[in-house]
Amino acid sequence: MKLQLKGVFKSFYTKRHRLTALEDISIAVKQGEFVCIIGPSGCGKSTLLNIIAGLEKPDRGEVLIDGHLVERPGPDRVVMFQDDALFPWLSVLSNVEFGMKMKNITKRKRRAIALEFLRMVHLSTFKLSYAHELSGGMKQRVALARALAINPAILLMDEPFGALDAQTREILQAELQEIWSLTEKTIIFVTHNVREAVCLGDRVLVCSARPGKIKKDVSIDLPRPRKLGSLELIKTSNLIMQELRSEIETVLKEELRDG
Amino acid sequence: MGRTIRIVLFYSFLLAIWEGIFRLHLWPEFLFPSPLDVLKTLSSGFYDKSLLIGIGISMKRIILGFGCSLVVGVLSGFFIGSVKILDETIGPLLLGLRTLPSICWLPLGLLWFGLNEKAILFVVIMGATFSITLATDDGVKNIPVIYLRAASTMGAHGFSRYLFVILPAALPSIITGMKLGWSFAWRSLMAGEMLFVSLGLGHLLMMGRELNDIRQIFAVMVIIVAIGVVIDKQLFGVLEKEIRVRWGLVPS
Repeated sequence: MKLQLKGVFKSFYTKRHRLTALEDISIAVKQGEFVCIIGPSGCGKSTLLNIIAGLEKPDRGEVLIDGHLVERPGPDRVVMFQDDALFPWLSVLSNVEFGMKMKNITKRKRRAIALEFLRMVHLSTFKLSYAHELSGGMKQRVALARALAINPAILLMDEPFGALDAQTREILQAELQEIWSLTEKTIIFVTHNVREAVCLGDRVLVCSARPGKIKKDVSIDLPRPRKLGSLELIKTSNLIMQELRSEIETVLKEELRDG
Repeated sequence: MGRTIRIVLFYSFLLAIWEGIFRLHLWPEFLFPSPLDVLKTLSSGFYDKSLLIGIGISMKRIILGFGCSLVVGVLSGFFIGSVKILDETIGPLLLGLRTLPSICWLPLGLLWFGLNEKAILFVVIMGATFSITLATDDGVKNIPVIYLRAASTMGAHGFSRYLFVILPAALPSIITGMKLGWSFAWRSLMAGEMLFVSLGLGHLLMMGRELNDIRQIFAVMVIIVAIGVVIDKQLFGVLEKEIRVRWGLVPS
């Protein structure tokens, strides 16, 4: 197994409440697998990703990569965030080179690799631009190139297309499928969009809310490349949506009661 | 109408008013000189190099003093910004020290170092360091968490993290602090230079008083203000603008 989570618990404490974000999460992911995690907002799916990344520590349980315990963040598990996490003080090219620079890869070599990945995301002509000169979709493409250039064992994606418009998102979903089949990376992809999850994942893990648990583990056997509009995809999405609906209602009820 | 023309017109107008007031002879000539007299003093000062030497000496001092402030300020700002306990303890103290007018360090400097170069540098450094420290501290604390998280997942640890992430991310704030620190340093230097035969611009100003030469006082004041404006606008202003444009904080 590439990635294993064993009995992971995580709670947050506010002034008055103890919020159980994750309760007894156990997951096993194979090398090269594309796993989507889906759930209502506040179910702790981003927390789960941060724990895998080593950015947060679980209260109990452990995360293993190739059998080794994860203790801190590292370039074998790069996170791609929803928000614009590109460094505004660096050009596109230097952003993509950043992780390789941290690994002390020679300048010539990292430049060549960075250019290759910029080509892969179709942004070669923007290599000297700065982040603020790019559109939202372009920024996320750069972020993807930046993550891939480090050659991580696992790519962690935290709603990377969540802030994009529908058309751009669809284009990037297609590109991501293509890049995934080329690079054969293990990907953990967090989203709240059911069809996106079904379109991209080999498996879709459905999270329940408060406490966050893995409610269902669905294998998606549809042929690739998948299109968002295909009938099979919509059917599968609807089945998962039904699972999710009761969870979303639970959250809504709880929030309304609190309000 | 071009920007340059507007500026030239404004200053010509200002000089005309000055000349007008002079011609009213409200005050005797030895208390209020005409702009032309001041210009003559300026040109003879440049001609016999006394002003040039004064400028050179003051610039040397400010570069040395401000350079020390910059190094100490940025380093201490980094420490205070990243270590919580330092922030809680030293932070308020620094805030207090920054409000202390830098000239108040002079008696201390004179007792510690004597009436010499070191005392002047001491005052300049004390005047500039705290604003650079506090601005750096502020810049470090306000770095968006997402940059730090992205950096650590990409393997930036320890020294690299400071050099390649925290320093550039805090740079806009540091430049602002430098600009503020520079103006404090310049003021402190002038105050310090008035104390003894220091040969800098402050000393030339004081010499004007001792010789009852109002034209020299005006001339040196013009130079001090001009240097202040040029460095503020041309050096820090340009740096600040460049960074803001690169970061996309202002339309380029």
